[in-house]
Amino acid sequence: MVGETLRNLLMIAWLLPLVGFAVEIFGGFWGSRQSRAAAWIAVGCIATGFVCSFSALMIWGNANHWSVMHKAEHGASHESHDGHQGEKGHEEHAPAGHEAPAEKHGSVSSESQYKLTALAAEEANTAHAAGPTVYSGTLYYLARFGSLDLSLDYYIDSLTLVMFTMVTFIATCIHLFAMGYMSEELTEEYVDHHAHLSNGHHVHRPGRFYRFFAFLSLFCFSMLGLVLAGNIFQVFIFWELVGICSFLLIGFYTERKSASNAANKAFIMNRVGDFGFLIGLMVLWTFFGTFRFGETVNDKGEVVQAGLFQLLQRDDTGNVIRDVETGEVSVGAADAAMNPGNARKTIPYFLLVVAGLGVFAGCVGKSAQFPLQTWLPDAMEGPTPVSALVHSATMVAAGVYLVGRFYPMFVQEVLLTIAYVGCITLFMAATIAIVATDIKKVLAYSTISQLGYMMLGLGVFGWGAGLFHLVTHAFFKSLMFLCSGSVIYGCHHEQEMPKMGGLWRKMPITAFTMLVGVIAISGLAIPGLISLSSVFAFSGFFSKDAVVATSLAFVKANPSHFLLFLMPLLTAGITAFYMFRLWFYTFAGKPRDMHVYDHCHESPLIMTVPLLVLSVLAAFCAVGGEQGPLFLLITGDQPSHVSHGVAAVAGASTLTLPGHDAVHAVHAEAGTYALIAAASGTLIAWLLYGTTMVNVAEMKRQLSGLHGFLVNKWHFDELYDALFMKPAHIIGKFCTWIDRTIFDGIIHGSAKVMIAVSKWDRLFDESVVDGFVNLLGSSTFAVGRSLRVVQTGRLRQYVMFIVVGVVALFAILFTTFPG
Amino acid sequence: MSGENFLFSVFAILTCVSALAVVLSQTVVRMAFWLVISLGSTAALFFLANADFVGAAQLLIYVGGTLVLLVFGVMLTASGPYMKIGTSAGETVVAGLLGLLFLFVVFACIGGVEWRKPVTGSADNIATGAVGNTLRPLGLSFLGVRPDADLANGKPPEASGYLLPFEIVSVHLLVVLIGASYLARAKRRAAPVGQ
Amino acid sequence: MAAGLNAYLLVGAVLFVCGVICMATKRNGIGVLMGVELVLNGANVNFVAFSRYTDLGLDGQIFSLFVIVLAAAEAAVALAIALNFYNNHLTIDVDRANKLKG
Repeated sequence: MVGETLRNLLMIAWLLPLVGFAVEIFGGFWGSRQSRAAAWIAVGCIATGFVCSFSALMIWGNANHWSVMHKAEHGASHESHDGHQGEKGHEEHAPAGHEAPAEKHGSVSSESQYKLTALAAEEANTAHAAGPTVYSGTLYYLARFGSLDLSLDYYIDSLTLVMFTMVTFIATCIHLFAMGYMSEELTEEYVDHHAHLSNGHHVHRPGRFYRFFAFLSLFCFSMLGLVLAGNIFQVFIFWELVGICSFLLIGFYTERKSASNAANKAFIMNRVGDFGFLIGLMVLWTFFGTFRFGETVNDKGEVVQAGLFQLLQRDDTGNVIRDVETGEVSVGAADAAMNPGNARKTIPYFLLVVAGLGVFAGCVGKSAQFPLQTWLPDAMEGPTPVSALVHSATMVAAGVYLVGRFYPMFVQEVLLTIAYVGCITLFMAATIAIVATDIKKVLAYSTISQLGYMMLGLGVFGWGAGLFHLVTHAFFKSLMFLCSGSVIYGCHHEQEMPKMGGLWRKMPITAFTMLVGVIAISGLAIPGLISLSSVFAFSGFFSKDAVVATSLAFVKANPSHFLLFLMPLLTAGITAFYMFRLWFYTFAGKPRDMHVYDHCHESPLIMTVPLLVLSVLAAFCAVGGEQGPLFLLITGDQPSHVSHGVAAVAGASTLTLPGHDAVHAVHAEAGTYALIAAASGTLIAWLLYGTTMVNVAEMKRQLSGLHGFLVNKWHFDELYDALFMKPAHIIGKFCTWIDRTIFDGIIHGSAKVMIAVSKWDRLFDESVVDGFVNLLGSSTFAVGRSLRVVQTGRLRQYVMFIVVGVVALFAILFTTFPG
Repeated sequence: MSGENFLFSVFAILTCVSALAVVLSQTVVRMAFWLVISLGSTAALFFLANADFVGAAQLLIYVGGTLVLLVFGVMLTASGPYMKIGTSAGETVVAGLLGLLFLFVVFACIGGVEWRKPVTGSADNIATGAVGNTLRPLGLSFLGVRPDADLANGKPPEASGYLLPFEIVSVHLLVVLIGASYLARAKRRAAPVGQ
Repeated sequence: MAAGLNAYLLVGAVLFVCGVICMATKRNGIGVLMGVELVLNGANVNFVAFSRYTDLGLDGQIFSLFVIVLAAAEAAVALAIALNFYNNHLTIDVDRANKLKG
């Protein structure tokens, strides 16, 4: 069974890092501080994971005979397809990579027969093409509350597999790079020059090499779990796990105040988003009754419960089916048909919007979108490999991934919000990146900006475009971060670009690979090199082109939202500008700080090899553009309503969402615009920083107001400080005042009253109660003492007393009853 | 005055006078003598009241037993013959006055109470203690049978016998004898107490 | 008419009072014992009188028998006590037995 094989392979890839984490954290704790064993274990785990993931991708493709590729066979060039497989395979899987296309051609004749058997054999999942491409099921039941199952599910489709392969591959490269980068930690006594004790000395501490790799492994486990997750609650669990990994890794240099602050900031910002996420989960559970994406299938293969994606029905126009009278959205037509006894469930339309916005709020936090973007630049306090892996390539992309994964549940209003959030983010972050001088900060802002592109792409109904950009961005941004890491390592932890310059002579490999990344992200291309309709370009061009084209199509359909096209276009130019600024600043020109320059050196082989590998992929992973294999793989299982677009319906939504045809129509136009913008940005950057024609400092002075505004990151930190921190402090002070005066007053007052009461009580006890008892005692004593006289001890007197007593008794008797 | 009344008067006076003599005697030996007279005349009074067995027991136990015991006591404790332990005059007077007062009270009580109707001994009322020859009924009643009460006319028993008290008294006597011999056994004399 | 109930009772009363006075005045322990005997005898006279002159029947006599037995027992014990007392105090004066005075 293909499904089980896939599941097992991905489970191995997913769980191996967890095993690695356990081994590293305990083994490292007991082992030597100078041992690289932890790193090798981590690399071994994640590399095996990559092998498994890639094998899974191959098996999946063979099982459905690469049906996703056939869909666009007419446009895809044969060479690029083969070339892509070769590239991917050249790491470890050259045979497997070449095998796949060969088999494809060999089995064309019997394809239809295979389709039929595949359909019969596999679970009846939604099959878009020839064979089943989506596999879902349950790995492990965690708990059951009433009708709510909490379980570890899996949901495997083309997106899952691509993400798995991408994450594991990049993680492998970064693990290798980190072995070099973190080698300074291989010591019993590490001196942290950035952390100061109160007496002004540097912090001395044992190296934390093993801990770093343990955290990286834990992060890989969490990220892969997130991607594999088959229900939204499981996504949330791993969502939080990557959050905690991020927290641990940002605060890796925990002695540095800035690092611990940044870790806290990242965590708290994410909490804000996760709050929305939880609200979304509640709405979903209340109205859908399940968290699963796919159908729940019991042992006999019958569908027990429909998944979220099946429950929300869409009509032919792509709109959700709504009740004519109430306007409520029906939930689970299929479900109702299966269980006729059940009443038809509905969900108010606005709650569907709330659910979508809630889940998106989580994505905003995780992907550092406006208005929760401020944590990501601060997160650069972590070691650079962490920035490369966690805060550019994978974790921050998790938000984008979730938007993509949860796409069928988003209605038009939510998508428009996503688009605008992405639009604001990409522009704002790009402008800040212009003035940033810290090499990692520039990359951080460019990450935010590119994440904004992804969100915009998804928001304007470019499902494939957004996720396409996600994957290409992961490659070239991890590449660039590793390059910057190499620079920082070579320059002995100097991160300020104004102190660099001319470094390409000292570190040519780094400079070259960085240039590849810069070209990729800038979206430069040479049109018409291969054919008139095709261009030669690096990956970034294709993906950004896809996003821009989709947004142009969207704007053409909805002219009132013209900003959604203009802003990304403008930002494409800005992106090219600041990226080339970075490159020129760092590698070109003359050395500005001879001290840094003299001590600078090229990084060791273990760091440059991953750079080279990644640069090849960053350049060529998207070969073929939207007809290329990567895009087709990603969009192989795209939500069914995406390809046709969604028409505006009277009374429902005024938005028209463009289908593939609409996008295709404007593709060339958008590509031209984007290319012009990128080229002009590059040109300006060359003019300003590559030559000495324009005095940059003079310009800075003239635009000091704008410059200051951008340097202060649009004053977002100050704004949040004024909006949230200050009121919180004021409220806190007010609460303190209330506590001090009112509550303390009440408590002290009651205490005083209690003291007074107890004093009075003591008086009462001592005088009345004790007095009574003492009186009783003393009077008894006195009576006894007086009666003592009677006890003469003389026998005969007692007899007399008896006689007297008897006589007296009778005397009384007689006087009382005379007669 | 019939013979019975005469005898009663004689013995009653004898009893009272000798009792008074016991009180008034100064030496313990004389007291013992007068006590013998008094108890003996009491036994005579019992005979006069048709309680022949009780009278006999009185003579045997009291006069024959108890008084011998008392005389032994006198002998064992006497520091000297005709020992006198005098009583102060005031005390005697007070005691005497009190005794008279008490006597008056008792007399008043006797006079003030309406006693049950006296029964006269007759042939058909054999069950009462009024007739003599009480040896057999007493013996039977000590064995738990009451010929004077329940055997009279076949009615259910109204009064129970005295088997259990008889046994208790027997055991009691035994205990008392053991106790007395224990108390009175010869011990090392304690250090004499100065008089 | 025989002597009558009251006559007996008067004799018993005299015996009783004499015994009481004997107890109250005699300092000799044996004398006190004799007073007790007198008191018991007074009671006996009463019992026998009731047995003879009322429908008490044999019960009175049986009671008086018990009293006699009890008196004998009491005499034996009292005599033992007196002997002990005498052993300890070298006298039979009961006024010297005032250890328990309050």
